[in-house]
Amino acid sequence: MLNTPRINRRCDGVTRRDFVSVGGLTALGLGVADRFRLQTPVAASERSTRSHRSCILIWLDGGPSHLETFDLKPDAPAEVRGPFQPISTAVAGTQICELLPLTAQLLDRVAIVRSMTSPLGEHNFGAQYLLSGYKPSPVIDYPSFGSVVAHLHNERGILPNNVAIPTFRVGGGRQSGQGFLPEQTRPFSVGGDPAKPDFQVRDLDLYADVATSRLDRRRSFLNAFDQFHRGAEQLGEASETPTDPAFEQAYRLVTSPDAKQAFDLTSEPAEVRKRYGTRTIGQSCLLARRLVERGVPFVTVNNPGWDTHQGAYTRLKEGYTGAKVPVGLIPSLDMAFSALVEDLEQRGLLDETLIVVMGEFGRTPKLNVSGGRDHWPRVFSVAMAGGGVTGGQVIGSSDSVGEGPKDRPVTPSDLACTIYDLLGIDPQHMLHTPGGRPIQVNRDGQLIRELIS
Amino acid sequence: MNVFAALMMVLAAEAAPVDFDTEIVPILTKAGCNAASCHGSAAGRGGFKLSLFGGDPAWDYDEIVHRLEGRRINPASAETSLVVTKPTEQIAHEGGTRFEYDGSDAATLTRWITDGAVRSQARGLSRVAITPNNSLVSLNDELQLKVLATFDDGTRQDATNLSVYVSSDAAALDVTDSGKMKIVRRGRHHVVVRFLTDVQTVIVTAPLADTRVDLSTAPHCNWIDDKVITTLDALHLTPSPQADDATLLRRASLHLTGRLPDADTVRAYLADKDSSKFTKLIDDLLDSSEFVEYWTYQLSKLLRIRPQPTNLPATKAFYAWVQQQVEGNVGWDQFATSLLLAEGDTHEYGPANFYLVAGDARAQAEYTSELLMGVRLSCANCHNHPLDRWTQYDYHGLAAIFARIERGRQVRLTSHGEVIHPVTGEAAIARIPGERFLAEGVDGREALAQWLTSDSNPYFARAIVNRIWKSLMGRGLVEPTDDLRATNPATHPELLNQLTSDFVSNGYSLRHTMRTIMTSAAYARSSRTTAENEGDLQFYSHALPVGLEAEVLADAIADVTGIAELYGNEPLGTRAINLFTPPESETLEVLGRCDRSDSCETSGSSTVGLTAKLHLLNGPLLNRRLGDEQGRLARLHRSGASTAEIIEEFYFVAFSRPPTDKERSYWLLQLEVGDPNVQQPALEDFVWGLLNSQEFLTNH
Repeated sequence: MLNTPRINRRCDGVTRRDFVSVGGLTALGLGVADRFRLQTPVAASERSTRSHRSCILIWLDGGPSHLETFDLKPDAPAEVRGPFQPISTAVAGTQICELLPLTAQLLDRVAIVRSMTSPLGEHNFGAQYLLSGYKPSPVIDYPSFGSVVAHLHNERGILPNNVAIPTFRVGGGRQSGQGFLPEQTRPFSVGGDPAKPDFQVRDLDLYADVATSRLDRRRSFLNAFDQFHRGAEQLGEASETPTDPAFEQAYRLVTSPDAKQAFDLTSEPAEVRKRYGTRTIGQSCLLARRLVERGVPFVTVNNPGWDTHQGAYTRLKEGYTGAKVPVGLIPSLDMAFSALVEDLEQRGLLDETLIVVMGEFGRTPKLNVSGGRDHWPRVFSVAMAGGGVTGGQVIGSSDSVGEGPKDRPVTPSDLACTIYDLLGIDPQHMLHTPGGRPIQVNRDGQLIRELIS
Repeated sequence: MNVFAALMMVLAAEAAPVDFDTEIVPILTKAGCNAASCHGSAAGRGGFKLSLFGGDPAWDYDEIVHRLEGRRINPASAETSLVVTKPTEQIAHEGGTRFEYDGSDAATLTRWITDGAVRSQARGLSRVAITPNNSLVSLNDELQLKVLATFDDGTRQDATNLSVYVSSDAAALDVTDSGKMKIVRRGRHHVVVRFLTDVQTVIVTAPLADTRVDLSTAPHCNWIDDKVITTLDALHLTPSPQADDATLLRRASLHLTGRLPDADTVRAYLADKDSSKFTKLIDDLLDSSEFVEYWTYQLSKLLRIRPQPTNLPATKAFYAWVQQQVEGNVGWDQFATSLLLAEGDTHEYGPANFYLVAGDARAQAEYTSELLMGVRLSCANCHNHPLDRWTQYDYHGLAAIFARIERGRQVRLTSHGEVIHPVTGEAAIARIPGERFLAEGVDGREALAQWLTSDSNPYFARAIVNRIWKSLMGRGLVEPTDDLRATNPATHPELLNQLTSDFVSNGYSLRHTMRTIMTSAAYARSSRTTAENEGDLQFYSHALPVGLEAEVLADAIADVTGIAELYGNEPLGTRAINLFTPPESETLEVLGRCDRSDSCETSGSSTVGLTAKLHLLNGPLLNRRLGDEQGRLARLHRSGASTAEIIEEFYFVAFSRPPTDKERSYWLLQLEVGDPNVQQPALEDFVWGLLNSQEFLTNH
């Protein structure tokens, strides 16, 4: 019954129009943009073949302070430079925050863009722009990187092509991620916290007494119901044709022992788990590595808490007041990110895996009265490693107080263009909305050429 | 200076003096100088700060003429003024070249400076006429917009080159800086045109098909259909046929009561031969207690009434009050007024809890504007809203209205409390957003309530009407529904206007507007698309299927399987829509319940994602129920029902219709197996499939 190749063949060969007559009711007819979308077959022409690179996006939700991470201003007035000192790195002349010592040691593998600039200083809007390269529009719901990658990925494996750890609740949680793309490109949230000892993917194990043979029957019954609803004239053979891609994905996941193995962090040696850090971001990055190793093309490690309007010192450094070993946001990021780069490198996967570290914007140059910084999109930093990025360089700079780009301003659209290019996706490539309208993967973006080796 | 500019200056001397407010400010707007990303931002840029989109000419004048010791202008040598040399990039300018040094904009600026850089306030803007509007075009057509401004001194000016044009979708309709449009895609497109403070939307329609459709026989029930059909006609769109009785019964029951009709109701309705039975059904549903329950739930969601475990009596009082309003068909104007003016013991007087939903005066301002105006004021906290008219004065002024509210068990107005305006550093003055400042010391809530509920208020009634439309038709006439603004036009502006005035003149009655919408032919269309209208998602050529909300779906699963869900310590049988303090519930979470910590308007059912599918496949939600001895399937078995009867019963309760012959024979073939031990799991899997089907999971 499990017949993945056949599903693929069908997707390849059937045009959008043909699909109408097969299904009776197309995605277009279903109407509500991000719901109940049927599988829109990916035409061969929509596919990209250039590279097999994967991407791990470490998303610092809430907007990380550039002035406390990758763009310190030691010479600025106290209210600008903040509480932390810069330290030297593996790259002569480049300094980053003292809370990132492990990252500093391997900065020769990392490129930092210090001149990111965006006009959108609200979480939801900012996150949409950074995650899609398109400013939010009332007319079109643009897909995020992960969904575009999943949509254009050649192989439909057992694991989902777009995974979020623990969840894809970003920028206030209003986004589905897949925009106008089909439902099955939506990020799959593993649901649990990988840092918890009893971590498991929710509902991955079969319910007691429900044998696999019954899953097969349920699948066939569900298809029959859906086909009747669409007014199919003949069932018979047709009822074996899958009609609900999300169900198909769930079915494949549940029936595969390999899938369970992929999510099993306990099979990692203790020292490896420790190296990534015991916090959620560390264990999430470790899980991301396991998934990427198994061919998942896009993983979002979603790390919330960076909206530090107040108490930035504690939240960024200590984690909790009076912590002996700092376990705040930045030290945890430092362990996770550096471990990921090292680990991938040792496994020979770094060149095939693009790592992007960013949030929706930076933070105000001046500390506020609550010891925090507010939203600041006009200039902020993004760090990237692996996946064909030339490490050891800083691209662009901000002015003396981190208020605006001093040179080489880079927009989120430019960044998107570059990420797509690195992942082997032509930014000019056309995607199609349910209404059949072509939308470029990226518009207006300029490639950040010096980033690419 | 080149010859041309010199000539311009000579000519200028003969012409009328340049008016700062209406001639200089538009140049700055047009060139993007006062945009939010440039000098129009809250902090300005490079030490030079202009009001956003020239909203405050007095400020701009002062900034240009007086600040920086007046160095920005040089009357003795106008063309060397910073305000001329910077934007023309004669000297370094971070923003690049905004206009040409020898162009007409620079000449106007130079002439104004030479004349003494005065702010005469000679005239104010009276009106702006933009032509053509509502034009019907073809693909690849080009169309020149013309903007004519009339001022209060009687003068008129061609403002085409001084207006700012923004296409709602540049890849569908391209518009140049000089107002020349090119239609790149078929469909209905919008261009927002801004001149000074005037913002208007131009609608351009390129039919979706080449040939016009004959809609003279299209079903037509009330004035809503006039507007919908006019649009279909303009777009050459063919409507789908009307839905059948069973579909309409299910659709209307879900919309008005959030529950599926039971099998007896379905049978009786399908057997009824009365031609007006659908209208009667709507009236009955509107009168039912189930309507009160469901719309109390809907409004509670809109009001973001959330569980407050430590303050249960307050939540209970709030919920009960909402229920009374729905039950009594209290007008939305009165509903809102009660909320705004509420004071007292939150345990006793429900609406007082309106002031406990948000944490402080600013949050209250944002919440209030989203709830009662359908606008997002939050941008204007830190800077003037970049896409709308809202300024920081509006935001903090509205917050100031709520500043003196004391938020505890007792909600009351005190004599102290203020909101600091972040720019002036002083206490913000209470203000009706976009309208006027209020006198000091008075309770501004009364003025606010009066302004909101006056019949001419542009936001209040529209916001709720648009939400009702969305809940019944699957899409708001304006989307998102909490983002009403001049720059976010409605798909059917006249329809929204008429729905709004009809709502107002009928006592702000939610039931009235629901009834009006539901008795239109547009409401009753099938959700099956035709080859001609499959791409349409916003013009109502067919019904839009919508996934059932988490709570409604949980209740429907309980109803169909016959096994209720247990929620916390609530009595067994409590319906999810009636949980005014939703406890932790894995079921509701997986089904995508909105937690109400923020607006719920963009969240929907998520039964479609992999997470939910896994839960439906492996979780207890369905598996636990299918074989339960108390469930519907077991009860049917015990009563000796035949396989055919079991199939039929489930079709009635889940789909509100009998199975077709084809379906009946298909299922009999699958399920009619002799051995009960073999048949039982097969029947359970039948019910499982039914509960996972699109026909069940959507209101279609």
